[in-house]
Amino acid sequence: MATTRGHTVISFLGAQLDRPRGNDRWDHWRPNVAMCQHEDLLIGRLVLLTERRFGRLFEEVAADIRAVSPETTVERRDLPLRDPWDFEEVFDKLFQFSRELRLDPERDDALVHMTTGTHVAQICLYLLTETRRFPARLLQTGPPTGKGPSRGTWQIIDLDLSRFDRIAQRFAEEQQEGQSLLKSGIDTRNASFNELITQVERVAPASAAPILLMGPTGAGKSQLARRIFELKRQRHLITGPFVEVNCATIRGDAAHSTLFGHERGAFTGALQRRPGLLRAADKGLLFLDEIGELGLDEQAMLLRALEEKRFLPLGSDKEAQSDFQLVAGTNRDLGRAVARGAFREDLLARINLWTFRLPGLRDRIEDLEPNVDFELEQFSARAGRRVHFNAEARAAYLQFATAGTGLWRGNFRDLNASITRLCTLASGGRITEKDVDGELGRLQADWRRDDDDPAPGADDDALLSGLLGGRLAQVDRFDRVQLAEVVRTCRRHRSLSAAGRELFAASRARKSSSNDTDRLRKYLSRFDLDWSKVSRA
Amino acid sequence: MITIDGSSGEGGGQVLRTAIGLSLVTGEKCVVENVRAGRKKPGLQRQHLTAVLAAAEVGDARVEGAELGSSRVAFVPKAVRAGDYTFAIGTAGSTTLVLQTVLPALLSASGPSTVSLEGGTHNPMAPPYDFLAETFAPLLHRMGAGLALQLHRHGFYPAGGGRVSASIAPAAWTPLELLERRDAPEVRARIVVARIPPRVAPREASMLRSRLGLRNDEIVIDEVESAGPGNVVILRLQLGEVTEVITQLGERGVLAETVASRAAAEAIRLLAANVPVGEHLADQLLIPMALAGGGAFRTVAPSEHTRTNAAVIERFLPVAIAFHEDGQDGAWRVEVRAR
Repeated sequence: MATTRGHTVISFLGAQLDRPRGNDRWDHWRPNVAMCQHEDLLIGRLVLLTERRFGRLFEEVAADIRAVSPETTVERRDLPLRDPWDFEEVFDKLFQFSRELRLDPERDDALVHMTTGTHVAQICLYLLTETRRFPARLLQTGPPTGKGPSRGTWQIIDLDLSRFDRIAQRFAEEQQEGQSLLKSGIDTRNASFNELITQVERVAPASAAPILLMGPTGAGKSQLARRIFELKRQRHLITGPFVEVNCATIRGDAAHSTLFGHERGAFTGALQRRPGLLRAADKGLLFLDEIGELGLDEQAMLLRALEEKRFLPLGSDKEAQSDFQLVAGTNRDLGRAVARGAFREDLLARINLWTFRLPGLRDRIEDLEPNVDFELEQFSARAGRRVHFNAEARAAYLQFATAGTGLWRGNFRDLNASITRLCTLASGGRITEKDVDGELGRLQADWRRDDDDPAPGADDDALLSGLLGGRLAQVDRFDRVQLAEVVRTCRRHRSLSAAGRELFAASRARKSSSNDTDRLRKYLSRFDLDWSKVSRA
Repeated sequence: MITIDGSSGEGGGQVLRTAIGLSLVTGEKCVVENVRAGRKKPGLQRQHLTAVLAAAEVGDARVEGAELGSSRVAFVPKAVRAGDYTFAIGTAGSTTLVLQTVLPALLSASGPSTVSLEGGTHNPMAPPYDFLAETFAPLLHRMGAGLALQLHRHGFYPAGGGRVSASIAPAAWTPLELLERRDAPEVRARIVVARIPPRVAPREASMLRSRLGLRNDEIVIDEVESAGPGNVVILRLQLGEVTEVITQLGERGVLAETVASRAAAEAIRLLAANVPVGEHLADQLLIPMALAGGGAFRTVAPSEHTRTNAAVIERFLPVAIAFHEDGQDGAWRVEVRAR
């Protein structure tokens, strides 16, 4: 884009390199003179950074530049440096200078010359150019090689790396590898899933903020979390381990110490100090699956750990530290959990920055076939023997699996189990039509059973376990439904009597009960609960 | 509008210079495409850009593609203005090539002009000042054109800083024929040195003595003032009507003896060819003869450079330029005739 006007070049006067004097100075490579001697580089304005004490050198160099390049206007800028090797001072002075210079990226087509000045100055020039304080490209000049002309060589370097084909290609390849890694190498075909992976590939290496993976059970949240970990480790963004826990399995008292650790003797039976999973995940990645199942106390502590990288282990008066990347998984709508009072709004806001919704298997049914192949390979690798479908068996299986008959309630978990069963039962490493028939029967039976038992009552259990802890196991399913509804109603009201009025409204209308409050208090006490425990949220 | 393929024939900067020079003379707009297409660094280099901008100034022309690296130049002249011009050429580039570009136009202008040039006066791949002053200008004079040259300061690569001035009077063209040459040409040598070790010139002189049989009083050593170091061996060959000038530049890393020897070899070749016009002069004579509407000369086998130049000239001016071998001794006859 060099026009008739030529480039504006910013360059340090080389106190050493531009120094040679006398008749044989033309035999020496003087970078600032030499750059004006190229037939294919036109410099309209050369801003030479120097100091007062190099005034004479400047005059000599400028005179020679005028002789070899009448097109060039040479400007002197004194940049007094107490210590040209002091990074802070040099950066500060150059930063100031970059503001005074007011380069016009269009008109000036500016180049920042990197070959003269101390190494510190060169680094600072680079940084200021990279951050566009100097809207310029870099100019690198080099001495003549062998018997080449004394003007040497020059090269323009554009820090917009996307302009370099080879580098851009390497970036694209790396991205491709990253996406392939995130997909476990499975050649997925579903467009929205692939788009999701593209986004994760972009976000995961670029951000240390929490990531929330939503999706039905078995959709592959846990696998994706592990892949994100591997991607970040491959790119040297984390050095610690991958730590995974399903919050549904650590409800109640155990939850706090599992996550945040405890000191020796913190409670009866705490014989050993336990560091907890957060500390184990330091500098690594912590995957909290089913985060909606976490108790409210633990949620508060987790929030603090995320915001301040500090938390209090049980029985300790000293805060522990851990810096980890959080990936959370959930199969429920956490927004509704917040409305219900089961999930902290501030924690949701904190983890809801990057939310990815993983579709269930039925919603990306075109990916079933590559996943079947993936599961076959996984099994073959585990078992040390190759297993494959014969053609008819494969067609029958895929036909059933991708048609409306394949409900895939448990998503990829179901698929994994199904292929594992087929492989285990296959004799001679071949899955036959007969094997498939049997397997399809099993799958259908499984999915029918799910139909019979549509509501496992997980929401109720989650709510009640926060109140009852381990005692929940002794409460009948029959009572759980009622108790859960009572607790929810209580939480909607400001007092026991107000809750009682709503709960016993029908009796009240018939005037068959006079004391709703007492009736509710007695009901709660059967479960060892009272207003203060129930209303806490 | 005349469109010239810059990659045709010899395909260098000369195509561009001849085209815009004659565009100025004829007032015909021209487009040069594929400028220097086959060269290592194709497109306009700084010296070409300087020549284009100088021509634009002389002819008040509008130019498209006057950018470094540009491969297409569109040149639309308005009117040539006689006057005083100053052009500075970067990278110690040749002052004579720039002068050559604007010279035909200023010779055709309505009044006298002066051109002051700064840069290189003795460059490789360009007519040296001495050739223009001693060979070319006298011949122009015989064709009815006025060109007086003065060298104020030598300029050598890489330091440059040379200064040349030219006074140009509008021409009343008359055709010229250069067919004969005298039998025993007189040879004189001048060795120019600037800011280089003193032993160089005597070594060159010694080589000239042995190769060309020159006596000491036929060799002049001139120490001149210049911005940077430089050395040139200049041989004047009195061929009768024509004084040919052969030059050889001293180069870093090349022995003084080699420099002088190369000059001598070229002189010996020209003397043996038994023609009045050497290869480079042949090149230079085409434009003035075409402007004069006719002319002829005997010379050595024409170079690709000369043939390309002739082809460009024929595109602009109503002339036909013919080349044919003349006799058995390798001489050629070049004829410029009005169409």
